[in-house]
Amino acid sequence: MRKVTTPVITIIVIAICLFLAGCSQAQNKSDPAATATSTDLLKANWDEVASQAKGQTVNMYMWGGSESINRYMDEWVAPRLKEDYEVTLQRVPVNDINDTINKLLAEKQVNKKEGSVDLIWINGENFKNAKEQDLLWGSFDKQLPNFNQYIDANAPDIKDDFGLPTEGLEAPWGKAQFVFIYDSNKIKTPPTSMAQLADWVKQNPGKFTYPAPPDFTGSAFIRQALYETTGGYQQYMKPLDSDSLTPKLSPLWNYLNSMETSLWREGKTYPESLAKLDQLYANGEVWMTMGYDPARASNEIKKGTFPASTRTFVLEAGTLANTHYLSIPFNSTHQAGAMVAINFMLSPEAQIAKFDPLNWGEDMSLDLQKLSPEDQKLVSEIDRGIATLPAGELASHRLPELPSAYVDVLDNGWLEYVAK
Amino acid sequence: MEKLTMKGLRHYLGFPMGLLLTFTMALPIIALLVNSLSFGWRWPDLFPQALTNRAWSYVLSTTSGTYASVGLSLEIALVVTIINLVLGMPGAYALARYNFRGKLLVEGIVYAPIIVPAFASTMGIQMTFLRLGLTESVLGVILAHLAPTLPYMVRALIISFQTLNPSLEDQARTLGAGWWQCFWQISLPHLVPGIVAGASLSILISLSQYLITFLIGGGQVVTLPLLMFPFINGGDLAIGSAYAVLFSGMAGLALYAMSWVLKHYYGKRLDFHI
Repeated sequence: MRKVTTPVITIIVIAICLFLAGCSQAQNKSDPAATATSTDLLKANWDEVASQAKGQTVNMYMWGGSESINRYMDEWVAPRLKEDYEVTLQRVPVNDINDTINKLLAEKQVNKKEGSVDLIWINGENFKNAKEQDLLWGSFDKQLPNFNQYIDANAPDIKDDFGLPTEGLEAPWGKAQFVFIYDSNKIKTPPTSMAQLADWVKQNPGKFTYPAPPDFTGSAFIRQALYETTGGYQQYMKPLDSDSLTPKLSPLWNYLNSMETSLWREGKTYPESLAKLDQLYANGEVWMTMGYDPARASNEIKKGTFPASTRTFVLEAGTLANTHYLSIPFNSTHQAGAMVAINFMLSPEAQIAKFDPLNWGEDMSLDLQKLSPEDQKLVSEIDRGIATLPAGELASHRLPELPSAYVDVLDNGWLEYVAK
Repeated sequence: MEKLTMKGLRHYLGFPMGLLLTFTMALPIIALLVNSLSFGWRWPDLFPQALTNRAWSYVLSTTSGTYASVGLSLEIALVVTIINLVLGMPGAYALARYNFRGKLLVEGIVYAPIIVPAFASTMGIQMTFLRLGLTESVLGVILAHLAPTLPYMVRALIISFQTLNPSLEDQARTLGAGWWQCFWQISLPHLVPGIVAGASLSILISLSQYLITFLIGGGQVVTLPLLMFPFINGGDLAIGSAYAVLFSGMAGLALYAMSWVLKHYYGKRLDFHI
């Protein structure tokens, strides 16, 4: 008994492998019934959807790093959804929604028909990947009563998600806009264009920087600079052609390089994330930060992280805006419940609550003109916080996002021409 | 003579050294605690402008899911550690006592998870578990946690077995002890320090897994790190700090409870020196 031989080990290993292989074959036999009902659901009328949804539990995968968003979902949306529609909403916190797209992709590869993701919060690059890999269920938006009643489905910033047609695979949940955040005690008159920003940076060395792309916000800052240094966004609203794009980009790299030595730490290093830049701003090391959420500055003042003199500004020629969406994956097992949940989140009631900074403070995806006069009054009465720009001023300074194929080219270009 | 010097050293340096050690270990936790409670704590202020319970009231609220995640984290760590003990004991015994062909290979496989990046192996585990229907279940997460934890358990037990002189067991056997009695009364008490070391590492490593739990659990197995990571990455450092303090407390208590149980049980028999 003192000698265990290699053949014995080999036999055990082979036996385990065979067992595993056998199991995986069994798993591949999935029932076709589930898919049949899910395509029917895409044609069903709303009453059928609502009655099928009753009693379902919907798993919503979404970024989980914000107290106010989590609270809005858990304490405002979920109880009402339960009460009024008998749908249980279970929020699954995710660090990066891209991980969830990868999870769906893996499930697609092994042909897993019954996934646990019923509802997913995405846009841009993640939507592009999901759409291209066929990870989304189908065109469902026109079935939602609230979508039809309150959303301007033909608006360019609703119809296209970073230049890619949504084709009803996702329904718009909210809007975000790029704003610059500054300390009004230190900066009396903030710049109104990227050119003025560069002048300001040179006059105040060390007081400005931006997160290094491919950080989401840093990458948006580069695109913001692209629009203003190369003559507007219109020329980019078409599929990417790398060859003709490259020469067009040199004014952008020149612009960024010209301010580099006046940046924080002389541009030798950049904050790796928006969170790091925010920390520099909170500590007074830099005098500006930025972000894709117009209400964030007010929220941070409320939390005590940003000084009370913090304010925001947009550029005269406008800043980037995008819409984010809710979607249903191909292998969701509670599609009816997910549709009911999305429809509820697009209701004026839920959207106005979301707009209120006491809950979240984010822009509505609804068309203001389509709301009832009472609701419009409600919206206008909400105090969005001292640092948040009025809704009208934001809306009149909105620029569409680039098709997401450009994003990678710009991020890589930055590493090549600026970071090096 | 040597004993005397050691005692002298202990006498004079024991207290300040202990204080220094406690201080260096406690300092990060204190900083986290202050961070989780502070409102407007900016450089160069030495103290926060005010205190707030915002972060804690969120972390401890019933909707945040914290309580369930703490329970689940501990449950997974406990089961993982028990399985590790059951697997590690015979494994370590064989590796410490016998020489056989392919021993190096077996050792290599057992220690591989320490060397191979967790991400690479987890991707493979994920695809296999998907086919087997083991993803999104607590069982799947427990099995996946075995990979990074088992090597430490085996390592700790091997060292314990190596310091256990086989003649002790032979003596017991010649005096009429059965196999089980010999293991229970002779081997096991000697192994307790190794078990404590291995189980501590197993518990700590299991508790702190993010990637494996996320990929294999698919978001359906929500342990404490899953709640904590988005806040640390997303920049709400107050809530991130509150979670970190909670995590340290949970891990510390788990370790304390485990060593208390083991020592309490075998305490009377612990009569040896390493």
